[in-house]
Amino acid sequence: MPSASELAWLIPVLPLLGACLTGLGLITFNRTVNRLRKPVALLLITSVGMAAVLSFAILAEQLAGAGGTEVLFDWAGAGSFHLQMGFRVDALGAVMLSLVTTIALLVMVYSDGYMVHDKGYVRFFTYLALFSSSMLGLVISPNLLEIYVFWELVGMCSYLLVGFWYDRDAAANAAQKAFVVNRVGDFGLLLGILGLFWATGSFGFEEIGERLSAAVAGGGLPTGVAVLLCLLVFMGPMAKSAQFPLHVWLPDAMEGPTPISALIHAATMVAAGVFLVARLQPVYEPFPQVQLVIAVIGTITLFLGATIALTQMDLKKGLAYSTVSQLGYMMLAMGCGAPVAGMFHLVTHAFFKAMLFLGSGSVIHAMEEVVGHEPVLAQDMRLMGGLRKHMPITSATFLVGCIAISGIPPLAGFWSKDEILGQAFNSFPLLWAMGFLTAGMTAFYMFRLYFLTFEGPFRGLDAGLRAQLLSAAGQATPESTEDGHHGHASHPHESGWQMAAPLVVLAVPSVLIGLLGTPWNSRFGHLVDPVEAAEVAEHFSWGEFLPLAGASVAISSLGIGLAVLAYALHRIDLGTAVAGRFPAINRFLANKWYLDAINEKIFVQGSRRLARQVLDVDSKVVDGVVNLTGLLTLGSGEGLKYFETGRVQFYALIVFGGVIGLVLLFSAFG
Amino acid sequence: MCDNAHAVGVVEAGISTLRPDGQHRSVPFPWLSTAILFPIGAALLIPFVPDKGDGKQVRWYALGVALTTFLVTVGAYLRGYDPADPGLQLVERVQWLPDLGLAWSVGADGISMPLILLTSFITSLACLAAWPVTFKPKLFYFLLLAMDGGQIAVFAVQDMLLFFLAWELELLPVYLLLAIWGGKKRQYAATKFILYTAGSSLFILLAGLAMAFYGGGAPSFEYTVLAAKEFGTGFQVLCYAALLIAFGVKLPVVPLHTWLPDAHGEATAPVHMLLAGILLKMGGYALLRFNVQLLPEAHAQFAPLLVILGVVNIIYAALTSFAQRNLKRKIAYSSISHMGFVLIGIGSFSALGTSGAMLQMISHGLIGASLFFLVGATYDRTHTLQLDEMGGIGQKMRKMFALWTVCSLASLALPGMSGFVSELMVFVGFATSEAYSLSFRIVISVLAAIGVILTPIYLLSMLREIFFGKENPELVSHSQLVDAEPREIYVISCLLVPIIGIGLYPRLVTDSYRAAIEALVDREAIALVKVGRAPVPAVMAAGAFGTLPPALLHAPALG
Repeated sequence: MPSASELAWLIPVLPLLGACLTGLGLITFNRTVNRLRKPVALLLITSVGMAAVLSFAILAEQLAGAGGTEVLFDWAGAGSFHLQMGFRVDALGAVMLSLVTTIALLVMVYSDGYMVHDKGYVRFFTYLALFSSSMLGLVISPNLLEIYVFWELVGMCSYLLVGFWYDRDAAANAAQKAFVVNRVGDFGLLLGILGLFWATGSFGFEEIGERLSAAVAGGGLPTGVAVLLCLLVFMGPMAKSAQFPLHVWLPDAMEGPTPISALIHAATMVAAGVFLVARLQPVYEPFPQVQLVIAVIGTITLFLGATIALTQMDLKKGLAYSTVSQLGYMMLAMGCGAPVAGMFHLVTHAFFKAMLFLGSGSVIHAMEEVVGHEPVLAQDMRLMGGLRKHMPITSATFLVGCIAISGIPPLAGFWSKDEILGQAFNSFPLLWAMGFLTAGMTAFYMFRLYFLTFEGPFRGLDAGLRAQLLSAAGQATPESTEDGHHGHASHPHESGWQMAAPLVVLAVPSVLIGLLGTPWNSRFGHLVDPVEAAEVAEHFSWGEFLPLAGASVAISSLGIGLAVLAYALHRIDLGTAVAGRFPAINRFLANKWYLDAINEKIFVQGSRRLARQVLDVDSKVVDGVVNLTGLLTLGSGEGLKYFETGRVQFYALIVFGGVIGLVLLFSAFG
Repeated sequence: MCDNAHAVGVVEAGISTLRPDGQHRSVPFPWLSTAILFPIGAALLIPFVPDKGDGKQVRWYALGVALTTFLVTVGAYLRGYDPADPGLQLVERVQWLPDLGLAWSVGADGISMPLILLTSFITSLACLAAWPVTFKPKLFYFLLLAMDGGQIAVFAVQDMLLFFLAWELELLPVYLLLAIWGGKKRQYAATKFILYTAGSSLFILLAGLAMAFYGGGAPSFEYTVLAAKEFGTGFQVLCYAALLIAFGVKLPVVPLHTWLPDAHGEATAPVHMLLAGILLKMGGYALLRFNVQLLPEAHAQFAPLLVILGVVNIIYAALTSFAQRNLKRKIAYSSISHMGFVLIGIGSFSALGTSGAMLQMISHGLIGASLFFLVGATYDRTHTLQLDEMGGIGQKMRKMFALWTVCSLASLALPGMSGFVSELMVFVGFATSEAYSLSFRIVISVLAAIGVILTPIYLLSMLREIFFGKENPELVSHSQLVDAEPREIYVISCLLVPIIGIGLYPRLVTDSYRAAIEALVDREAIALVKVGRAPVPAVMAAGAFGTLPPALLHAPALG
């Protein structure tokens, strides 16, 4: 009986087989397969479920103290080169495997409810299984090369899923943007991988780390080059994990169906960058410059995400910017040399953010019943309000998520975020201050989302407001608004069990999982990095922990309090108090730091212009020369006609003479 | 009729003699001659095929012939070819005109065998793609089959004069296929094509004659004889320059590429598949066969130029493709861009890079053919190639949308598909090559990697404009958007199976030519030492152009 670790290759293969089967079915027997909704969903959920069982078996083995397993085979090669592929299971991988399969499973169950009216139901499940497979493959990759392979594949799944509703222009643009921005990151990643391979002759994480520092220490490689290579590789995680300035794709990616936002753009794929940086710790650790850059970029990102989230009116966009901000926290942890803390935040964040997104999906699903299938309306918080009465489960779980992310003990977010802040306080006090400030903002904007959505009166039936929102989005008011609303219901309803159950299930870890990572006895740390965990536990002192933790809780409470005053009790009108007084700042934030505009102007327009110019050169200059030559030849042909004698022998003589002449010429050179 | 000559491998290593003689040659079936002559002979019989003129009978006949040819080449691979042997195999040799030194000499090694298989495979699919052709079907299929034989001959012959004949012979069908079944500007495109390629092939003849007569004695055009000759370096450089122009037109290399968008823009889908799938590969094959194998010392001098031209190809063509508004021309430019990786691989002086160039040719043969087939299938429905006139057609044609998406992703080198492996091999091979200075490698790698960003930009925005978004009301009003039919799905699936197969396990293909490429690269390494360029990166340190001036100065002397 082989151990579960030896069967780890089955984990990505099982969902892949399911996806291939239904994918082929869709291409060949489209109509029949599209009608087999439940069997297909059942098949794919089963395949992911089996992967989940295996993953937990592996996690159990790791908890019991099994070592890592690595299996490699020759994938491609020539000469003395061998590109190897295979799989590798260790504690870090086991945690990620369990996390990904759990959330994928829950999201699939949820999607059965969410996508029930969609005609692309089967296609959606196929993509989901395909994504799960790629993501799981990424987690068990033993080397950078294989990571790159799956890195691209999850990017492709993200492209397909963001553009799932391809008749919507916004979704089409977002999908393309996501892929291209990620390719910009991959550009660096690819070059970095190539460079590291050139410098060390290896794709393996530990090997690269050892040989790179050995080469630098031995003087064979300048430190600058090594740092540059590390930073190039870091471009990949920057794009995938939405770090400034490559974060621009993530908020747009919210055009995809909400289960996707929960699975890919909150819990798993965007965390892949953080995961890769954690894997690369042996490479990055010897270079403090690299660590500093990572920490600074993480800090900029967490600050930027939180500030933009303050002004968002779209429920999902608000959550998206919150994700950007939280990913920044994880990167900050990596930069502080605390991968365990970063990974722990990744895990806790995955649970509560997935729950928040699924909750927002539940809200949107309910809103669509009232305002119709129009994302501009169904996702706008100005039309929500008072949903707690109609959707008790959704609102309760959403509230749990808000508390968790705000960092109120003993919920999950407190422990992980506090650990990161503690590490930052010791490494980079300035960056800690930013993170600390942002923690307050996080609490504020999350509770702002909560109050606007679930408390107060329901505003979804306000036809005037709807028309205003539609015209602001540049869309014509649909005719059906004349008869009040083109939804079917006058007020939203709680979602069915398929959607409610995953929310409840996710609420449990959102509350409790943080207790596995208490700084004085971190079971998570023991699993992933026992040495470091023991060290942390040894150095732990209440005198150090309590003031920092207290400060974090205090600023979070301040944020919550402000949100309560402004949005629940309506004591302060922030619109006039802040936005009115500092219109520049408000505009700056509402326009997302103008990054999208800059992007559009420089890169999109610029590349279009450049391409047009090159094409002009191609058709006018390069081809022009050719056509001109053609004309001249024609002309000279006309001229030559007069010398025509019509004797074949004469031509033969000329050709022969020419050949002889050339041969002589050549022998002279030779 | 054919006396199976002794093993005359280019590198007559011990491997072929170690094997008990006659083990794999015990069945003296002339596989390659059959693969060349059978489709041509069968094409000559087409006038006798009973057909009412609508092509319904003759297309079955043509498909049968093409499939038989494919099976013959597969048989040759399975029964007569040993992938571990770096030398020439399946050799058949008949004296033809002994006075001229001309012999019917065919054979296959690692460089030609995969391309022979690719040719017969793509031609079979092109026959299936040509199913709806009703205008002069007999002539159409005649030309298609003649091309099949001609192209296999290009890859299989082992005699430079024969090569020249086959090369020229294959031009004629393409010219006619373009000029008769092409689009609106077909005359212009066909003329341009014939002028370009015929003009450039003159250089092949010149270089061939020069090499055959070099050193006195009875002239011989056979590759093995030519390879054994010790050409002087100056002579090599001249020949190399001439051949580079000839093959550069075919590949195409950037300033010589303008025939391609016109030819591809006017051709019909099956011709398209052949143009992109096979014709371009003739250039890459010939570069490996002649420029690298016969003239290694000149190659050692010219290689930096190849690499630079490769990068120019990648970026320049990617940009023009992005700006193109015509679908066919867009894909045509993307072909040029992808062939840039072949150039870099050939110039990389590493087994991995050269192997990657070879794989890129095969991979692009499959991916390019699939994309061009889809262009044709889409045009049949929309009756327009202008992207501005499309939009939102994914709603009526969902399967077509899926096929387009998969093929575009393959073309933008998504892992799991063949394009990724070949580009990766070229990247890794070049980045670790000892023959270039570090700065040169960095600059080239960075520039080539920009192609990695540009390719999805133009391919995805193309998909975006064709399929995504709201339906274009004008398009829907006057055209019937029927979804993909089984024949079309079948053709694409046939192409996708090897594309994904190679992507998942590239050794399926790379092992079939590995030995030959390694032998070739060994030859390159010796030449590098001779020229005094390796492994001294310092020569190149000044930048890319360190060794170029001599080569560039010599080139015009001939051209």
